[in-house]
Amino acid sequence: MSLSINRREFIAGTAGALAFAGCARPLRREASVTIVRAAVYSQDLYDTVRRLLTEQKLNVRGKRVVLKPNLVEFEPGSVINTNPLVVHAALEAFRALGAADVRIAEGPGHRRNTLDLADAAGYFETIRNFEDLFTDLNLDEVSRVHVARPSSRLRELYLPQTVLSSDLLVSLPKMKTHHWTGATLGMKNFFGLVPGGVYGWPKNVLHWAGINESIADIHTLVPRTFTLVDGIVGMEGNGPIQGKPKPAGVLVAGRDMPAVDATCCRIMGIEPAKIGYLRIAGMPETIHQTGERVEAVRTDFELLPMLQSFRA
Amino acid sequence: MDDGRGNTDNDVDPAAPQTHAALVNALAAAQNPDGGWPYCRERHGRKGTSWTEPTVLALLALGPQGPVSARGFQWLRSRQQPDGGWTPQPGVDETTWVTSLVALLPSQSIGIENSHRALGWILAQMGTNSTFWYRLRESLLGSHGAEENPGWPWFPGTAAWVTPTALAIMALEKAAKAQMTDEIRRRIGQGRQFLITRRCADGGWNHGSSRALGYDGTSYPETTGAALLALRGVPNLDRSIAAAERHWRECRGAEGAAWLKLGLLAQGKKVDAWPPHSAPRNIRDTALCLLADHAQQGANVFVD
Repeated sequence: MSLSINRREFIAGTAGALAFAGCARPLRREASVTIVRAAVYSQDLYDTVRRLLTEQKLNVRGKRVVLKPNLVEFEPGSVINTNPLVVHAALEAFRALGAADVRIAEGPGHRRNTLDLADAAGYFETIRNFEDLFTDLNLDEVSRVHVARPSSRLRELYLPQTVLSSDLLVSLPKMKTHHWTGATLGMKNFFGLVPGGVYGWPKNVLHWAGINESIADIHTLVPRTFTLVDGIVGMEGNGPIQGKPKPAGVLVAGRDMPAVDATCCRIMGIEPAKIGYLRIAGMPETIHQTGERVEAVRTDFELLPMLQSFRA
Repeated sequence: MDDGRGNTDNDVDPAAPQTHAALVNALAAAQNPDGGWPYCRERHGRKGTSWTEPTVLALLALGPQGPVSARGFQWLRSRQQPDGGWTPQPGVDETTWVTSLVALLPSQSIGIENSHRALGWILAQMGTNSTFWYRLRESLLGSHGAEENPGWPWFPGTAAWVTPTALAIMALEKAAKAQMTDEIRRRIGQGRQFLITRRCADGGWNHGSSRALGYDGTSYPETTGAALLALRGVPNLDRSIAAAERHWRECRGAEGAAWLKLGLLAQGKKVDAWPPHSAPRNIRDTALCLLADHAQQGANVFVD
């Protein structure tokens, strides 16, 4: 998907592709994923992230970009939340690439006081004027969207206007294991788009509709995405909250979210085909790897006993 | 100079007033022209949509008198749904947990008949995993996912959780003061039992998942405070009160501090000055802090 096309062109192109798909074999899907080494959270990240976005040939000039980190719990210094330096580096990089507006937005699933959570996670300290740049997606204006071809029991879903009006939504997850789904990465991070102000804390409607299926459905509702995974220090074991820090020393990025998530799984020593939401969303037939090779950076994340079958 | 809530003279946000009078003024000024209140503070001259939760909390904090409250009650009355409940905000069609909050307001201000309809809606709700059909299904499957003690969900058709259950119990307690019925008594008892069974190993409460996959969950300040409010009068809460006092010392954020203060005061505990880092950052938390201050003065609207 090119980001240099406008909304009308995108809709026309999608309609054309669907019409074509109706009378021919599905288009072969290819994706590009970049892996870069980043051993520590340091000032070098600003240059690293900018190089990574340039490598991915993103055209965001004049676009409204929304960065969606993963904010979960109040534990300063822990590895639960996306590190604020990664978010700030992305903010600066998208600005440098000419984005008209770059906002940060998140809707945590358990804790209601999002600004206090962001403060405890170091966002206020790291990102100047953070509160002005931030939207609490749990409390944002909402619109109801129809789930066109649901995999889950969801038929419609309220989503925040900040998300729906963005030109590019950037998932900035932490690389973590997840005790229900196996791994939480770019796609699972989008649970945080669903407004707690409507559905509550936790957003239990997604659990009842099927966790893996809901993750896949939400992915279909936001077509213009980019993913940058904070895998510098991830979480292994009983993630996404009670696990242990796991230094993986990488940032992983790309425009095809399932491709990025699948690549991260391989780095973590997890078989992507075992991840339910990746099976439902579908992974590209070909992933063009740039930067580091998966084999060079693979570091197996400890898995809970019931997830041992997920090991690659 | 530190103001006791984590702000110093050098970094006090002028939009985050600290004194009681300033909090009241800030709350009144945040009212939307339609009479409701948004969650978030005005930014760049733009106010947000009115939501039910901050509107109810603002009205509880400001009291029923005066033109500001009159406009707020008018907005709320206009928002009641045909099923007797309230939606979270006008752009949402589904009636939810916020109905329990509305039911905490004085009946006269909403209308006696309207309050009865709200009560009927609350009594008709329960977590899906406590419904007859779900329990039957679990029984036939030999599974153990059913919840014996029905609590209340955030959103219809989902499971029960701590905060909506605590608020529903408080709403029913208030209704019971006018007229206790067997159904109200039963649901309060079941709701309290639900809270007891969802208590974390550390004595407090989180959102409602005290143990998963063999691992203990840890409690939160805000849910521990709300549960203690709903469990006022229930014996053997020493461990929970100790957890709340521990949270109070370590709490970061106005929401958690306000609910802890309300809960500890309801349990007859003395609460001193606000902990550091507890300045309210949105309208809801501003109202909650005022309500906690009122409770310290002897008027706890959640349980009195």
